[in-house]
Amino acid sequence: MKRPIRSTLVVSLFVLVLCLLAAETLIVKVQSTSLRKNPKFYAPALLTLGAGEKIEKISSQEGWIQVRTSKGAVGWIHSSAVQVQKFDLMAMDAKMKTQASASEVALAGKGFNKQVEESYRAKHGEVSFVWVDKMLLIKIPDSRVEEFMRQGKLGEFRGAR
Amino acid sequence: MNKTKTLALTVGFFFVLAFLAACSAVQQGADILAGTGKISESDRKAIVRTSEAVRSSFADITEEEEYYIGRGVAALILSRYPVYDNQALTDYVNTVGKAVVYSSSRPEIYAGYHFLVLDTEEVNALSAPGGFIFISKGLLRRCRNEEMLAAVLAHEVGHVCARHGLQSIKKSRLIDAFSLIGQEAAKRYGPQQLAQLTTIFEGTLGDIVDTLILRGYDRKFEYEADELSVKFTAATGYTPQGLVDFLRTMVGDSSAVSGKGWFKTHPTSEQRIERVKTQAAALGGSLVEEPARTKRFHQTLAGLK
Repeated sequence: MKRPIRSTLVVSLFVLVLCLLAAETLIVKVQSTSLRKNPKFYAPALLTLGAGEKIEKISSQEGWIQVRTSKGAVGWIHSSAVQVQKFDLMAMDAKMKTQASASEVALAGKGFNKQVEESYRAKHGEVSFVWVDKMLLIKIPDSRVEEFMRQGKLGEFRGAR
Repeated sequence: MNKTKTLALTVGFFFVLAFLAACSAVQQGADILAGTGKISESDRKAIVRTSEAVRSSFADITEEEEYYIGRGVAALILSRYPVYDNQALTDYVNTVGKAVVYSSSRPEIYAGYHFLVLDTEEVNALSAPGGFIFISKGLLRRCRNEEMLAAVLAHEVGHVCARHGLQSIKKSRLIDAFSLIGQEAAKRYGPQQLAQLTTIFEGTLGDIVDTLILRGYDRKFEYEADELSVKFTAATGYTPQGLVDFLRTMVGDSSAVSGKGWFKTHPTSEQRIERVKTQAAALGGSLVEEPARTKRFHQTLAGLK
């Protein structure tokens, strides 16, 4: 009689631990970001992550989080690029809620989105978005920023000769 | 004793079972927002019900919404000012900006930070939500070195990090938007809702642009952005004196009497200097500007027409 209870307990605890670990799931909230080899912006990028992708937290240090992707890649991501996925056990009855929370809206791509902008632009032909789109194309590679900082003795290159 | 133990274990077991059942129910709730199932975009299917409260304030505006609001605000700023289209200068300003962003409190933002020079002699620097930052030629001319430029850009990055722009949206407008957005399940809106939401979007852009260009932020936001500027530039490795030096050059500036741009929307430099000086002194750090930085600053700005 004693043994089955003990194994039940072990299994239950194991499952509980798994559930708690699942709570450490993070969701990428920016359009795209790099999974980096080391915890700094100009560290080599291993791959690109997009909005809504789920990743698993392994550890963290000074604003950076070490994560594992669903395909098993491990690297670093800045904490400002992700949000914690939360479960709500009390919100099981969908009918109780008539309004969406911020993360639901984010995941569904709702709210002020492309469709709303298109509608605004159709109404305001005089407002040009040409330079807004050009502005978004300005990309300074991280490697260039690193060189710029090295030359200007900024960041980790402070006091360097 | 043994009975009590068995009972405790059984209760524990059922608790875990209930927890698991709840987890699975949460997953099943994932389709609720999906509605027609048209949310498609890869992982976005993985919607789960969350424990967050319904949206009520600027803090609940999502990254993507902030980006679309920012695009609209940027377009309106650019309908008032022409762009100074100089590749070398744009790249330089963006590189200084990016270096500062790395050390900011919010380096990752939906579509990243972007900087553009405005072709006007008016002294001004503006930032739209979502990281669209503008600096005028007139302001650039008043910077004597990279430290000052970095400080001005960091002040604008500070406004973005602290979401000051979004805080100028009228509360009633936000509540209207949230309630309208929350009602509809499908990702795409029907014509009537789209028309209503577009009107709210127009109002939202208007609230922010009025604040940025006409009214100016509440002083407490300007002081906060100054404080963040000192913090971010010092963390990047610039002398924390950059902002103090810049504000000093603005005291008694001939264009101040025009009451335009920066002078219209910001507290006076004298009011800001004392606070910034104290904050810079508290941070310590080097007071010496690095010659290599000043040299590249002058080289890049030499071509400014």
